[in-house]
Amino acid sequence: MTMDMSRYLGLFISEATEHLEALGRDLVALEREATASTVDSMFRHAHSVKGMASSMGFEPIAMLAHRVEDLVDAVRQDRKLLDRDLVDLLLNAADTLTAQVRAVASSREPEQAAGLLQQLGARVEALTGHAPAATRVAQVTALKPATPSGDDGEGSGGGEGPSGASGSGSPGGAAGPASGSGSASGSGSPGGAASASGAGASGSAAPASGAGPSGGDTGVGASGATVPSALAVMPPATLMPPRDLSGPDALYGAPSARTLAVMPESDPSSPVAALTSGLKAVTSVADGKSGAPRWSVRLRISPTCQVPGVRAFLVHKRLSTLGTLVDLRPPLEELKAGRIPDGYIQVDVETGVGDTGIQAALRNVAEVEVVSVSPSVPEPPALPVVAPTSDAARATADTGSRTVRVRTELLDYFLDTVGELMLATARLREVGKVLPENTRPALEEGVYRLHTLVKDLHDKVMSARMTPLSLITDRLPRAARDLARRKEREVELVITGAEIELDRAILDELADPLLHLLRNCIDHGLESPDERMAAKKSPRGRVTVTVRRARDRVIIDIEDDGRGMDPAKLKASALKRGLITEDAAQRMADRDAFLLSCLPGVSTAKDITDISGRGVGMDAVKRVVESVGGTLEIDSVRGQGTTFTLRLPLTVAVVHLLLVEVGEEVFGLPIAKVVGATEADPQALSKSRETALLPHGNGLLPVHALESLLGVPAAPKPGYRPFVVMEGDAGTGKVALAVDRLLGQEEVVLKPLSRPLDLLPGLSGVTILGSGRPVFILDVPRLLTA
Amino acid sequence: MRHVIFRVEKERYGLPLSAVREVVVPPERYTRVPRAPAAITGVMNLRGRVVTVVELRQLLHLPEGPTPLCRVVLLDRGRRDLGLLVTDVDGIEAVERVSAAPGKVMPAVRGVARLGGLGVTVLDPEGLDAAVVALFTPSK
Amino acid sequence: MAKRVLVVDDAIFMRNMIKDIFASGGFEVVGEAANGLEAVEKFKELKPDLTTMDIVMPFKSGIEATREIIKADSSAVVIMCSALGQESLVMEAIEAGASDFIVKPFRAEDVLAVVKKVLGEA
Repeated sequence: MTMDMSRYLGLFISEATEHLEALGRDLVALEREATASTVDSMFRHAHSVKGMASSMGFEPIAMLAHRVEDLVDAVRQDRKLLDRDLVDLLLNAADTLTAQVRAVASSREPEQAAGLLQQLGARVEALTGHAPAATRVAQVTALKPATPSGDDGEGSGGGEGPSGASGSGSPGGAAGPASGSGSASGSGSPGGAASASGAGASGSAAPASGAGPSGGDTGVGASGATVPSALAVMPPATLMPPRDLSGPDALYGAPSARTLAVMPESDPSSPVAALTSGLKAVTSVADGKSGAPRWSVRLRISPTCQVPGVRAFLVHKRLSTLGTLVDLRPPLEELKAGRIPDGYIQVDVETGVGDTGIQAALRNVAEVEVVSVSPSVPEPPALPVVAPTSDAARATADTGSRTVRVRTELLDYFLDTVGELMLATARLREVGKVLPENTRPALEEGVYRLHTLVKDLHDKVMSARMTPLSLITDRLPRAARDLARRKEREVELVITGAEIELDRAILDELADPLLHLLRNCIDHGLESPDERMAAKKSPRGRVTVTVRRARDRVIIDIEDDGRGMDPAKLKASALKRGLITEDAAQRMADRDAFLLSCLPGVSTAKDITDISGRGVGMDAVKRVVESVGGTLEIDSVRGQGTTFTLRLPLTVAVVHLLLVEVGEEVFGLPIAKVVGATEADPQALSKSRETALLPHGNGLLPVHALESLLGVPAAPKPGYRPFVVMEGDAGTGKVALAVDRLLGQEEVVLKPLSRPLDLLPGLSGVTILGSGRPVFILDVPRLLTA
Repeated sequence: MRHVIFRVEKERYGLPLSAVREVVVPPERYTRVPRAPAAITGVMNLRGRVVTVVELRQLLHLPEGPTPLCRVVLLDRGRRDLGLLVTDVDGIEAVERVSAAPGKVMPAVRGVARLGGLGVTVLDPEGLDAAVVALFTPSK
Repeated sequence: MAKRVLVVDDAIFMRNMIKDIFASGGFEVVGEAANGLEAVEKFKELKPDLTTMDIVMPFKSGIEATREIIKADSSAVVIMCSALGQESLVMEAIEAGASDFIVKPFRAEDVLAVVKKVLGEA
């Protein structure tokens, strides 16, 4: 019975990826400050990945993760060992692991990172003074799901998909399973199989031994109980005493209490039946100090046990709860180290629980067989056996709160569907309005109920979509490190408040803008170390990302302590490009001037940076932020630094729109930017350089016909038409838009624009009206400048 | 590999099944996308999602044809908001052995294959995506 | 009545796998915990027949959690989920009162064998 691991693949990929991302973050954090908790956390991540990968049978991943774990463990012992090269090496390993996991995700075999393994191994050796333990390597190879303890003959036949390709070699595997000689454990298995039937035969005498399933079936599945259970008797042939106990000294030793145990091999043929029914009284000398009877116990750790040392320790612990242990062989330290010749353990127990008590204490320990329990005194008082597993109290609550992982597509689907439910409800309500008066109340009641339920469902879906900002800010430290290294700068990145949650859809949109802003700070905001020193600043630049909640908004500040922006330069640049007038430049406040950097081509930084193959400039940052219903502000003090402030809605934004019609199309204008509406005859307007001018207040506003601005076909209509006066931005100032019809206001859910629509200038989002019609929301200033 | 086979006029095209989310009937009317390239038919509301519909004919620079375009092939979830307007969808077929397509190299075209004795142009989902993006990006 | 199990591991991957193994063995997984703190809380709340306990976990290690669980209920059955190379940690856990242990990567039959044995069902 092999487990079908394929169903865990998705989880493996997502969770391993998370651990690796976290590992990368820790590494970056580590370089700044090597705290114990960071190193511990790294250890956990590497350890988890190793565990998962070895469970999945992904040997190359497991091996690499294991080596990372080893190395981190070494650092854990002494954090002074950490240097930049080591961090680089570990980052490299984390990246390689990520690539390996990605390979697995696209159904490829992860590649063996031989070179890296070697490098890591060399470092482990250099740091710890010994090579990565052979057993550890063996563990990974031996742990392929279908491979039983180093016997590759069976293992490769298991046909377990992912593990198949990792080869049947398992070089260390042979040495893995038993600390003793491999051949002994090898021959032990067949013997064990024979003994299992023996156990069955004697089952009546030893009720606790039970039937087959108890055995740790590490052999081939078909053979059932190949490993004898607790009370099974080894056939005489395998009852070879450990060497150190077989000498006459041990048997007939000095009259000291310590060596008076009677060896079971004095009667090698005694079956369990004999032991458990009338025990042969064997003369011995009771220990004077403890009045308790003394029992000689002989056990064997199953040869298939992966960690015999721990197993032996557990046995020791169990027995020691019964009374005093005397003459343990091998001695405890040897036991713990797993140095147990052929798995045999011999000990005397001074206890009042009797042989049944001893048997009972070991009955529930897996992978151990009690070879014999012989009394040192006749007729030990029979005490009631205490079952080690008492009935734990039954819980009153049957259900704990459970969490499941939901794919984001599913969350999107939920939201879409709930959105549609809302639309359908609105539709029903509309339909209700035209029904005859007498049928209306029933429908309206139903619609009201439906509305309430859908609203509630919507809230639930929204809360399920809330995701901590750390999901995207977690990428920043690594990015900062890489950027800083490339620019040969020192940067300290401090992120606070990343636990604050936002709707997943907004979060997804923000990933690139945040990265861009960070890059902006490091590339353009921060000065070189020399410059900084000259300005009496610390050579190490500092970028802080602060997230906070303010009512229904989340505010993100990205702040650097660099050179700051020059409003005059920005104005000059915008002027040169004809984006603003001289007059506007004169009157423009600094705050507005900073925002000029968001106009394409104005940024004082000459280069538009490119993130993940996608050109994202400050204009794109602003657009994305606005498309999710947020705002961007920039503040800067020359010589002291720049702060970008993103104010974001918690959830997918609900915006108030003024709906307007031109030709056959409907568009939405954000009410927040609408100054007013008026009517005028375009023909009657005065003109300046082809642009019509609308009197407004004390001045004149440039007029733009929306149809020509958007390229929408619309038949020219003579006479009066409505004008909407819109707030402009830093560059444009107020404008008047000529439309065909004002359709009224509506509150809608703003949807961000998906590829390729986000590439179009002048659109800030899209929404779906109650009628089901998609409507674009316009970004008027961008329409005018792009 | 299984492909969704569809037609633009008489010419047959294929996309890996894994790259196609679903096939839908186009809406009665689209919402026009202001300032969009001509190949963009418009956007449609598909169960609350705004899907951009691209005329495959124009994307591949094929000549205008007489047949109405009556199916939208929606791409997979990575490109979930993109639909290709085609003449009709034939079905799902196994397509093996894709060889290089004759003529100009286009990122949207992976190659050609034989299917039931006839040729089928196998499209590349990533390439299609890139071709659409390229429409929106003025060439430098 | 199926024995009730609490599964403690910081990896969902592992929890799911362990849960599936238990389900295949006719056990009822009544709760999960992702760290030592949660484990102790869940244990007190659910009083499971058996708890599987990962060792390396954030906030509170499996060993510490085991110690606290045993303190709360000396008859609690806690099975450590360990990996090779963690021998000394497992021993520490045994000192803290763990009943037994299983070694990653798990094989369903090995896990069930150990568990049944520990619960005296074997």
